[in-house]
Amino acid sequence: MRGLHVYVLIAAAGLALALAGQLNAYWMHVAIIAMYYGILAASWSLLAGYVGLFSLSHTAFASIGGYTSALLVKWLGIPVVLGIGAGVVMCCALGGVIGWVCLRMSGPYLAIFTLGFSEIVRIAISTEDDVTAGMAGLHTAPLFQSATRLPYFYAAFALLAGSLLLMGFLVGSRWGLFLRAIREDEQAAAASGVAVARFRILAFAIASGFAGLAGGFYAHYIGIMTPSVGDLDEMAKLVVMTVIGGMERLPTAVGGAFVVEYLLELLRSYGQWRLPLFGVILLLTMRFARNGLVTPFWLRFVRLGEARVGSRSSARDLTRKDSAT
Amino acid sequence: MSWDYLFVQAANGAVVGVIYALIAVGVTLIFSILKIVNFAHGDLYMLGGYCAYYVIEYLGLPPLLAMVVAMGALFVGAIVLERLTLTPLYSDATERKDEYGLIVTFGLAYFLRNTAVIAFGPFPLKPPSFIPGVQRLGNLVVTNDRLVAGGVGLVLILGLLYFMQRTIWGQALDAVSQSRDSAAIVGINARRFNSFAFGIGAALAAAAGALVAPIFSLAPDMGVLPNIHAYVIVILGGMGSVSGSIIAGILLGESENLFTAFFPDPTRAFAYTNAFGVLVLMVFLIFRPQGLFGRRHLRME
Amino acid sequence: MRIARPWRVSAKLAVLIGGIVIASSQLVGTPAKAADPLKVGWVGPLSPPGGYAEGALMKQAAELAAEQLNAKGGVLGRPVQVVFADTRGKPEEGTAAAERLISQEKVVAITGEFHSSVFLAEMEVAHKAGVPIIAVDVWALSITAKGYPEVFRVAPNQALIATKYGDWIAAAGFKNVAVLFEKTDGGQSARDVLLPVLDKHGVKYEVVGADPNSTEFTAQIERFKSHQPPFDFFMTAYSEAGAYPMISQSHTLGFAPSPRTGIANSGGPAVDPTFWKNVGEAGKYLVTEIVGLPKNAWNDKTKAFVAAYRKKYNQPPSPQAIENYDAMLVLADAIERAKSTDGKAIVAALEKTDITLGRGRYTFSTGKDPDWAYHQFMNAPVALVQYSKVGQEAEDAPIVWPRNIADVKYTYLKPGQ
Repeated sequence: MRGLHVYVLIAAAGLALALAGQLNAYWMHVAIIAMYYGILAASWSLLAGYVGLFSLSHTAFASIGGYTSALLVKWLGIPVVLGIGAGVVMCCALGGVIGWVCLRMSGPYLAIFTLGFSEIVRIAISTEDDVTAGMAGLHTAPLFQSATRLPYFYAAFALLAGSLLLMGFLVGSRWGLFLRAIREDEQAAAASGVAVARFRILAFAIASGFAGLAGGFYAHYIGIMTPSVGDLDEMAKLVVMTVIGGMERLPTAVGGAFVVEYLLELLRSYGQWRLPLFGVILLLTMRFARNGLVTPFWLRFVRLGEARVGSRSSARDLTRKDSAT
Repeated sequence: MSWDYLFVQAANGAVVGVIYALIAVGVTLIFSILKIVNFAHGDLYMLGGYCAYYVIEYLGLPPLLAMVVAMGALFVGAIVLERLTLTPLYSDATERKDEYGLIVTFGLAYFLRNTAVIAFGPFPLKPPSFIPGVQRLGNLVVTNDRLVAGGVGLVLILGLLYFMQRTIWGQALDAVSQSRDSAAIVGINARRFNSFAFGIGAALAAAAGALVAPIFSLAPDMGVLPNIHAYVIVILGGMGSVSGSIIAGILLGESENLFTAFFPDPTRAFAYTNAFGVLVLMVFLIFRPQGLFGRRHLRME
Repeated sequence: MRIARPWRVSAKLAVLIGGIVIASSQLVGTPAKAADPLKVGWVGPLSPPGGYAEGALMKQAAELAAEQLNAKGGVLGRPVQVVFADTRGKPEEGTAAAERLISQEKVVAITGEFHSSVFLAEMEVAHKAGVPIIAVDVWALSITAKGYPEVFRVAPNQALIATKYGDWIAAAGFKNVAVLFEKTDGGQSARDVLLPVLDKHGVKYEVVGADPNSTEFTAQIERFKSHQPPFDFFMTAYSEAGAYPMISQSHTLGFAPSPRTGIANSGGPAVDPTFWKNVGEAGKYLVTEIVGLPKNAWNDKTKAFVAAYRKKYNQPPSPQAIENYDAMLVLADAIERAKSTDGKAIVAALEKTDITLGRGRYTFSTGKDPDWAYHQFMNAPVALVQYSKVGQEAEDAPIVWPRNIADVKYTYLKPGQ
């Protein structure tokens, strides 16, 4: 039956939620961080995978969202949830502005422009330390008063699921079609009546909003916020995660985040060799599975339960990339 | 502020700018021919510097010769890397070549930088000076090493320009950078020239590393900031324009120095210097994306 | 060319990667574990963007300590095994590392760290789990001021270090100071403590922040040079690799050290192994801090440690190394006295520490006035030294402050004298 994979996913999610309490503190932390990156990866894949805007300022927006929330909570005493919301609004607005400024840029120009923006944000936060505490770290109010990390696990799960649903709606709708049309050929899309400018700005705004959401959650989870949340190192890690998973689909991007986060933790026992080894793995993946490691698995998974019409047609289906999921 | 102060700051800015330009020229070449943003460029620069250092330490060669050796080593090494990791750029199965190059060079940078910490140790090293001592002109003090770096850098860049405009191989490179397909039509093996270009780009980065080592010392993460500078310069000068890189490099050196020198708030002036350079870049990207001398139509073909 | 079914390629690739990971684990493997090792966690930066140079020194010292402890039969009869975690200078890595060490590796205690912001994240985890954590080279006041019983600090903190600089600057007669601090937690806290002390003494100053990745300081130094009235001292709080070009440039441009302007560097690079190789003559007359006992006060333990460290690593130990070594020994001593690996028991034993090691007699204050005194090694030695010869080792440099342990008559040696 079609859609079997959806039931499998729901069952798996239910299982994960039920068994969460069994995880020890370390793995729960890793899971929560993986979900944080999952939201970032999914929203970045929206921007870079669906629309083709290779922005390098995504983690900068996470940092903006986190700082906005932390500072507003600190100065105005508002509840943390409102703070995070404010962070999201700020990032949507700023993301839209950046999207507007970048309208005529594409490819590497866009990448370098957004890289520049990211650096300026980081330098500003780090320098104005009487406001942001700079590199000494800004202490943030926790989202939950709790002895364990479990509430954060559920919160992260809810945020990730919610984000995926919302973004999934977007890409499954007509708008999603427009976004992909822009990626394939902007001029042809415009000629076909797609309001290219509007959708580029919208894509930036929405993606940045989700980044701000992730950043806000992160700030009130880790408890201490530093400019390194938005630095190039983090952005590089995000790019790697999304690409290894599969840049063009939301679920594979999230899958990539989980895989890489898990891999990084697994490699911890290698001490100093962790990062060089990681670089090698990345190079191998890019060389041999450049549509993402997770993508082919996901595509097979999605076809679970479908009657086999013949091996030829499955192969054809696998190489087509226009399905929404 | 006195004229003397202005002169000193501006002169230093020019010297440093030429050094920046040398680093950037390799990026320009790689970008205009391979059409990829090479995020590992700063690490190639770092490797060149270390290579020269070890050649001087263990083989006892004079610094300038060590630089040439480093250039050769990186030239070969880069071609090997290119063959290993970048060949999918040429097959039609790769959809988005821009991002592919970016990501692969990210991975390369990660690998090189962190391996360098293990291989070379974390403590900064410094090879002996090219020419010890300083030159003075009034209040201006410039170390001989900086002058050597600037001078040799200029020679190398001009050499590259000559090579690209006057020799057959260079013209072939230029042709590939303008249009790969058209170059193929006239019989230029684009694949081979891509490797060649990557090798030359890396060799130039290595030269920069070797020249700069006595001035700024060697550390495994020394390539991080020059990488960003290189991108600012490449965009400012116009992607694909080697001569633009020289001007843009000097422009960047000047703007950074003058910003530090004159920005009213002394506490923040130095801290925001890098941000200022990046801001200049962003403004250019908005209003004049082709930079000073770049070609307008740079796209993947 | 038809590409193979993508999922097969992916599957093969996944197997290949898995194979590499497993295979390399054999190469990089942990040493053979003897019966039931006593695991101690170590956190610190071993790769960029953290301060990986100092982290490496701390790691070496911890390894040496473990080796020596095991040569004497281990702790509570069990061999000591240090589990290292690279935190790269990022708080989230600190949290992950601490969690892993505690929940996964089940360490009985943690030592280390070079970045305050990372330690602040780590100590939250340790506190929740009730695992003792000894801060080795982090100077932020809030670390002990927060009052977590699990947290102990063997390093001096900014209140003890930057204050000394402030007092010394005033005593040496400087009136107009150019302060350059690096934008990291260490640099910021140095600035935060130093400036009020300078204010107290009526010393004027100008403060400049710098990016930790900077290597080109010419423009800023020229700007300092043009300042009226001229600066008579250049105080730098800078620990990254750029410190060396900064000092060289400052000297070449005739700013400091010079007869008119002195120079100091706080943060570590001035006592690291390649200091002289990088700055050469510019390092003569530079003032820096040492956080170990001054050479004239070395006891047998200090001498033994220095000799052992030199023998094993071919370099003199840095202050961070000494701190980490002592931290390990303090911990071992506490565990032995507690006769248990239970967190609370170790904490109680640590509070009663009274042992003389290479940096003097270790005790931890239990008072809370000032708030950062809680579990702080109050007598942590800090001395300011001034290099008087090129190539001089930090331990041989004349001590200029505090005056009661100074071994030269002058407070400041002016270049040219």
